[in-house]
Amino acid sequence: MISSYTFGIYPRSEELIEATRKNTENLSSLFQKETEEYITTQTNANLGFVSDPLLKWDDIFRPFSNLSEVTPTALNRIYEMNTFYRVLSFDGSAFTDGGNTVKSNLDSSLPKNKTVAIPEPFTFAELHTSNEFKRKEDFVINLAKMLRAEIDSLVESGFEVIQLLAPSIAYNKEVDFGVVSDALKIITDGLNAKTILHTYFGDVSTKIESLLDLPVSGLGFDITTTPASSIEKHSFSDKILTVGIINSFNTAIEKPQECIKQIDEINAKTKPKESYVSNNFDLEYVPKEFAMNKISVLGEIARGAKDV
Amino acid sequence: MSKLFPTQEIGSLKKPADMLKKVKDPNVSAEEKIKARNDAALLNIKTLEDIGLDIVYDGEVRRVEMYEEPVRYVDGFEFAGRVRSWDNKYYNKARVVGPVAFKQNFHAEEFNFVKDNSNRELKVPITGAYTLADWSYDEHYKSKDELVLALAKNVVRPLVKDLVGLGAKIIQIDEPAATTHPAEMDIFRESINESVKGIDAKFVVHACFSGNDYKALAPQMPEIKAEQYTLEFANRDTWNTGLDDDARKGFQVLKLFKEHGFEGEIGIGVSDVHVNEIESPELIRDRILYSAKALGDPTKVYVNPDCGLRTRTREVSFDKIRSIVKGAELARKEIE
Repeated sequence: MISSYTFGIYPRSEELIEATRKNTENLSSLFQKETEEYITTQTNANLGFVSDPLLKWDDIFRPFSNLSEVTPTALNRIYEMNTFYRVLSFDGSAFTDGGNTVKSNLDSSLPKNKTVAIPEPFTFAELHTSNEFKRKEDFVINLAKMLRAEIDSLVESGFEVIQLLAPSIAYNKEVDFGVVSDALKIITDGLNAKTILHTYFGDVSTKIESLLDLPVSGLGFDITTTPASSIEKHSFSDKILTVGIINSFNTAIEKPQECIKQIDEINAKTKPKESYVSNNFDLEYVPKEFAMNKISVLGEIARGAKDV
Repeated sequence: MSKLFPTQEIGSLKKPADMLKKVKDPNVSAEEKIKARNDAALLNIKTLEDIGLDIVYDGEVRRVEMYEEPVRYVDGFEFAGRVRSWDNKYYNKARVVGPVAFKQNFHAEEFNFVKDNSNRELKVPITGAYTLADWSYDEHYKSKDELVLALAKNVVRPLVKDLVGLGAKIIQIDEPAATTHPAEMDIFRESINESVKGIDAKFVVHACFSGNDYKALAPQMPEIKAEQYTLEFANRDTWNTGLDDDARKGFQVLKLFKEHGFEGEIGIGVSDVHVNEIESPELIRDRILYSAKALGDPTKVYVNPDCGLRTRTREVSFDKIRSIVKGAELARKEIE
């Protein structure tokens, strides 16, 4: 058995979609009911770590629009997806609010073994704008400082694993790994929690060496875009390896035995320090009934895979 | 068309509220619902004609939206549920669970009605194979390419053939997903060519702007069997009048099309569909004149909004179209 978790924004049910559109009286109780349902499903699937389904989040960046001197602006496409996020304009230089922005947007009833996913600084800077910082690297570093305060607050409240979402590192052809490393150092230095940099929306085959040098506890991969054969060429002896085996972009439900075989093969070749399985990116790309099935299947895969 | 700078719509308009109320009301009879749809279609056609558009259609008033409408009538699809586009906006996404096949011409009634009620040139918008594939879950085909080509050959081509049989002369293939995947332009090109293979009509491709400013599309354009592209430019342009490159930032990419050897027509998007502000006729005139110069031939320029106007109110939409018609008149005067 290996460990497991799902992360990101989960899909709302049809009932909740309608309620959010019509702003019905029972909206708040529906949010709570569905959040509890997702937490129960993860717990019943015996996932190693449980996450808030973030049902109130309109996109993975939106809570940060509550920071001072930050304004939500135009809609922008999320990479090559048929989905859009709102670009945030960071209008000042000091955009921390004491680190409670993410925590205050999470459900307080999560069990002790909990995880949360937030964007890493490079991705954050790539997808948003700053009026203050003309150089991208300055914006990245200041975002890292803001995120560190957020993460400290999360760790203090018991989050053991922090996913750092890194789609821009995967998607962009050119990545300044020096800046990425400096920013991640700000986030992880002396932190009392595991940090996993999760790449998706692009093939990182040629970047794995650089990724392995980054100051994070582990790396996560979407194996629909980065082939397992590329990951298998590397040793993960001093890193956690998370394989995003559950495809959030297709309704086809994964076959547990095939997945278990694949995970065992990857682990045999990479010899990771610890092995996790997860979804490849936000489950909200499939409707709720499929997401629920996929969470259960993930638990089955984790239970069936050989321990490392 | 002999007239310079013909004006046209892209497709969708916001549906009239009274029609929506009637078609959603379970107490309204089927006959009354048909009448409500016909009245709304007629209203759109006549309004567009009265404003002075040269090429018209019915504002896609009978369609649910551009993805769900065709998928409802194609074998091999099953709806999975809604997924988010942004915020509280969702679309109904389908799974491909078997071989895709054309069942019936789902635009026949709509086309026949427009044909019977307009003397203008008609442009029929249909959703392209690549976009249908890209916006669906595929649980059946071995690859996305295989699904795209199956849709092109087995769904879009029979639909186009049938529409042409009914008298359609201009077909616009809507492909908003095409430019979102710059690395998949080869299969996009092949899907259009397969969709129109052996069919005698004028084909227009509508592709939305995405990320790389049509740079991936440009090299493919001469190889795609389309006479015209209707594309977005206004939403990246300045609101200043003028014919210089700085004023016409959004239109500079036209030069790239020419460099890649494309000699066909461009339906230039001169009105931003994401804002309520109405572009002045003078601004539209300058966008047209700049485009005519960039393409080196004014007869290659058609004029339209960036995209369908269904996200704007009907008042704003029609005001924008009015301004487009006036702007084209001003541009004609400058040339003639």
